[in-house]
Amino acid sequence: MSKLAIEDVSRVFPGVRGREPRALEPTSLAIEDNDFITILGPSGCGKSTLLRIVAGLDRPTAGRVLLDGQPVTGPGPDRGMVFQSYTLFPWLTVERNIRFGLREKRLPEAKQAEITARYIDRVGLRGFEHHYPKMLSGGMQQRTALARALANAPKMLLLDEPFGALDNQTRALMQELLLSIWESERKTVLFVTHDIEEAIFMANRVAVMSARPGRIKSDVRIELPHPRHYTMKTTPEFSAYKARLTEEIRAESIKAAQMAL
Amino acid sequence: MKPLEPISRGSRIVLGALFFILFFALWAAVSFGGLVPKQFLADPLTMLRSGWELSTKHAFHEDVGITVWRVLGGFLIAASLGVPLGIAMGAYKPIEAFFEPFVSFARYLPASAFIPLLILWAGIGEAQKLAVIFIGSFFQIVLMVAVIVGSTRRDLVEAAYTLGAKSSGVVTRVLLPSSAPDIAETLRLVLGWAWTYVIVAELIGASSGIGHMITDSQALLDTGQIIFGIVVIGVIGLVSDYLFKLANQRLFPWRLA
Repeated sequence: MSKLAIEDVSRVFPGVRGREPRALEPTSLAIEDNDFITILGPSGCGKSTLLRIVAGLDRPTAGRVLLDGQPVTGPGPDRGMVFQSYTLFPWLTVERNIRFGLREKRLPEAKQAEITARYIDRVGLRGFEHHYPKMLSGGMQQRTALARALANAPKMLLLDEPFGALDNQTRALMQELLLSIWESERKTVLFVTHDIEEAIFMANRVAVMSARPGRIKSDVRIELPHPRHYTMKTTPEFSAYKARLTEEIRAESIKAAQMAL
Repeated sequence: MKPLEPISRGSRIVLGALFFILFFALWAAVSFGGLVPKQFLADPLTMLRSGWELSTKHAFHEDVGITVWRVLGGFLIAASLGVPLGIAMGAYKPIEAFFEPFVSFARYLPASAFIPLLILWAGIGEAQKLAVIFIGSFFQIVLMVAVIVGSTRRDLVEAAYTLGAKSSGVVTRVLLPSSAPDIAETLRLVLGWAWTYVIVAELIGASSGIGHMITDSQALLDTGQIIFGIVVIGVIGLVSDYLFKLANQRLFPWRLA
């Protein structure tokens, strides 16, 4: 049985004057335990909609999502999420933000402190525990958001272009950080991005989505060894994947641009 | 001067004080210079002398005390009922749908127009004064708090849900803390309005308070006392506003960080 099964999920948004834009064609995807899957697609292809449906923040018009065989009916702490926008609670310090879910679970105080300290170290924020989000750089905020999601010990980690707003250098560091966490903790990860390099570097499977209406066009297994280092991005194997995915995405982007005209 | 360019703390204080000085200079010029007859506008010195007399001979501090008590009393009652209702309306849309149309209507009912009716119902005692302030503040607080809570960032609410929060957790751990600074700011604003209502209530039917002193002075054509009363209200307003601001900065350091 798959860890996560997306079965014929589609989403139609209420249209303007009778036109019903279909954001997501019926889509199916099976994700195995410990998989790291990136969903790659041009903007507006419905990849975020798909992720939000898995998170339970949006409801599918038809179809269903099963996590460990149980249907997803709403958001829950078993699916940790990191958003593209900075969603740390601005009134809480880094430490309190990471603790948020643990307090919600009513874990004993000592246990909360122990887990929080572990993840502060894991994402390299020791010394910043008592800072408010406003005092942190974008990269540090996203590291805190990652720690906050991980501290809850979710079955899955859902990431919606989490590094999209960061500069290139910071983004590369964040990618390595997330990979090293995945390599050591072996979480099941669903990662949405429009960045081809990022999609290949992070994943063991890349699901390419087509533009409007969105659907999964191809599913590419990435056979690159772990642990991965940033130098991998210049190897011939990596370039071959990149060439192939660039071609697929290009066709979609052209289609999307033509439809917009 | 360039648009939006900040100025130093020193020049800010100097400029702010300068206006007060110019204002008093202009006032002194028109009153001492005889441009305006004395019975219409007392000069600054007469105003201070009247104020001294009021404070030493007529126990003006009791009037000030009773007025402050009324404002705080009416304001606290309005806030302690209005803030929770506003939060409930902002958080839960059916509650909002139920109350919002009536509250929007009631907000436009002028509090001062209720004074004759309130005198009929509650006499000219303290209950009537508190009721005027309550009517003037309550509906404003409810609506503004509801809007503040209702405009909480959706992505923060969603983040809380993905971290395992339930509805009640979202209200107490996201909606409330994220709205608290703006709610405090709203209360600061409404407290300022409450000051206007109390004086109006005291002008019409009262036997004590700053407003009552002002009506008494009008009968005696003592513009010095009237102006002194108005200035005292202004000073108290300025001080309470400053204290409120200071408290907000202390309570919500994350806003400034």
